[in-house]
Amino acid sequence: MELFDNLLMGLSTALQLNNLLFCLIGVVIGTAIGVLPGIGPIPTVALLLPFTFGLSPASAMIMLAGIFYGAQYGGSTTAILVNVPGETSSVVTCIDGHEMAKQGRAGTALAIAAIASFFAGTMATIVIAVLSVPLSVLALKFTAVEYFSLLVLGLIAAVVLAHGSVAKSLAMVLLGLLLGLVGIDVSSGVARMTFGIAALSDGLDFVPIAMGLFGLGEIIANLERPAERRVVSQSIRSLIPSWKDLRAALPAVVRGTALGSVLGVLPGGGAALPPFSSYALEKKLARDPSRFGKGAIEGVAGPEAANNAGAQTSFIPLLTLGIPANALMALMIGALMMQGIQPGPQIMTEQPKLVWGVIASMWVGNLMLLIINLPLIGLWVSMLKIPYRLLFPAIVLFCCIGTYGIANSLFNVWLMMGCALIGYFFIKIGVEPAPLLLGLVLGPQLEENFRRAMLIADGDFTVFLSRPISAVILAVVAALLLAMLSPAILRTRKEALAE
Amino acid sequence: MTRSRIDLQDLLFGLFLVAVATGTLVATRNLTVGHAADMGPGYMPRVVALALMAFGLFFSGRGLWRAGRGIAPVQLRPLLAILASVGVFALTAERLGLAIASVAAVMLASFATREGRLVETVAFAVVLSGAAVLLFVKLLGLPIPIWPR
Repeated sequence: MELFDNLLMGLSTALQLNNLLFCLIGVVIGTAIGVLPGIGPIPTVALLLPFTFGLSPASAMIMLAGIFYGAQYGGSTTAILVNVPGETSSVVTCIDGHEMAKQGRAGTALAIAAIASFFAGTMATIVIAVLSVPLSVLALKFTAVEYFSLLVLGLIAAVVLAHGSVAKSLAMVLLGLLLGLVGIDVSSGVARMTFGIAALSDGLDFVPIAMGLFGLGEIIANLERPAERRVVSQSIRSLIPSWKDLRAALPAVVRGTALGSVLGVLPGGGAALPPFSSYALEKKLARDPSRFGKGAIEGVAGPEAANNAGAQTSFIPLLTLGIPANALMALMIGALMMQGIQPGPQIMTEQPKLVWGVIASMWVGNLMLLIINLPLIGLWVSMLKIPYRLLFPAIVLFCCIGTYGIANSLFNVWLMMGCALIGYFFIKIGVEPAPLLLGLVLGPQLEENFRRAMLIADGDFTVFLSRPISAVILAVVAALLLAMLSPAILRTRKEALAE
Repeated sequence: MTRSRIDLQDLLFGLFLVAVATGTLVATRNLTVGHAADMGPGYMPRVVALALMAFGLFFSGRGLWRAGRGIAPVQLRPLLAILASVGVFALTAERLGLAIASVAAVMLASFATREGRLVETVAFAVVLSGAAVLLFVKLLGLPIPIWPR
């Protein structure tokens, strides 16, 4: 069995002592930022990127991945105990999870959330392993033409499936593409839009942009809202759920895992969309839907499983095709490029140890998370007592130092300051900044493949339609865009995302 | 969120895009464009800028035409404090060293909220600065001076 060989190879990488250590660091940091509202995985990963230079590519990816799925675990703790989502993906968990906590069943809710996440993480690891091989075989047939079409599909689908206005998101992708063009043009050596600034000739670093837009812009907007945080102050009794609870939760966990795995693979998926869908599904299937919102255990188990499965399977497009499914995966691509690894369809055949090591580490990391989260829950609860007035200056400082650290350049700190202002502006006018980051990271690849495709085809645009794989991909793009114009689908999408 | 006669959110986004597109077209006016089979460095920037221009005009027009949401009033205190904090860090980090720059940045950032108490803020800034020096310079080997040169 090739699958087992691959997984064994992955485990042998993931179980190396230093990789185990970085996995642990990743999931601990992930849990911490998941627990703390107001700081998400995107600025955290951006902050830590500069310090992964010295690590091997596998260690770096293992740690950064751990932050992402670790945050899904941590986010549910805050949702249950404080009724504030630690992460966007745990918004739904607030509804029934916090209700359970109010009824004195916080321990059960926390345990079910952790067990559901662990089950989902394990299954999603298997899904990734099974799907990766056929996808990478297909990917080897790709030339610049197909890859360009695939990048277009990735960008468009990410926009259509994410929340927010589609037209605005498309504009944001273009804005990101434009920022990605800044710097010296690879084929002609001419400086573009550098305004004579030497620091710009290598292009804009995406880390200051990500930290400014997502980290600092968010902090400024947060500070405008009145602070409110009440921890349910009760001792958490009995973390071990009863058989009755487990039996009630199990079907929801299985359904949530399946739903999350499918939605996570889709571009624009990741951890945000699946929990909403899972909650809606559980409510629809329940014999007595009125229990939901009053502490139904399925309302915690399903979404928690779904967000964890989604977070993990969103790695599939990245690991097999080199395409990011969401803004966080775009940062991962950036991490690979910093390590000198060109992300793309060939990544799986050229870097099998890296890819399978990361996949296997996810299961190891989930096991660690289960241990970190359940017995040590008191530690995370006490972290919630840190007031925001102390938290945000620390985040600002770490963002400054981290941004400086990427290239030891103060220019990047100024750039981050500018992006903080723009990020705040985007929040004020209600525009989602994530598509910009996707465009920025994919921009250079998009241009390069487009130019190469045009060279192959001698400037004939029809080449994208005359090659079968490319034509199919572009047909999907067209279908997606047409579907968005249909009023019926527009309405359902609005409802689905509003729920 | 207040209602208003025009959709201010759309209008501002549209104007922002138009400004960016115009800036790009001006900045890249001297680059060769070439044609599809042999693209010059100016080809892609121009294509993207024109598309952005179209989006910008569309949003501006739609914003003026339909009623929509206004914008919650901007509070200057958090905005200025955070931006100033980053700015001060950028100005002082290499000259005065990480220790002093960190204290200054944390103190300025704390002004973003009225909740802060002076003694607590100063103490916290000093502790954070020490932690930052330990973590980033000693442990992670970031090449930045700790004290003024």
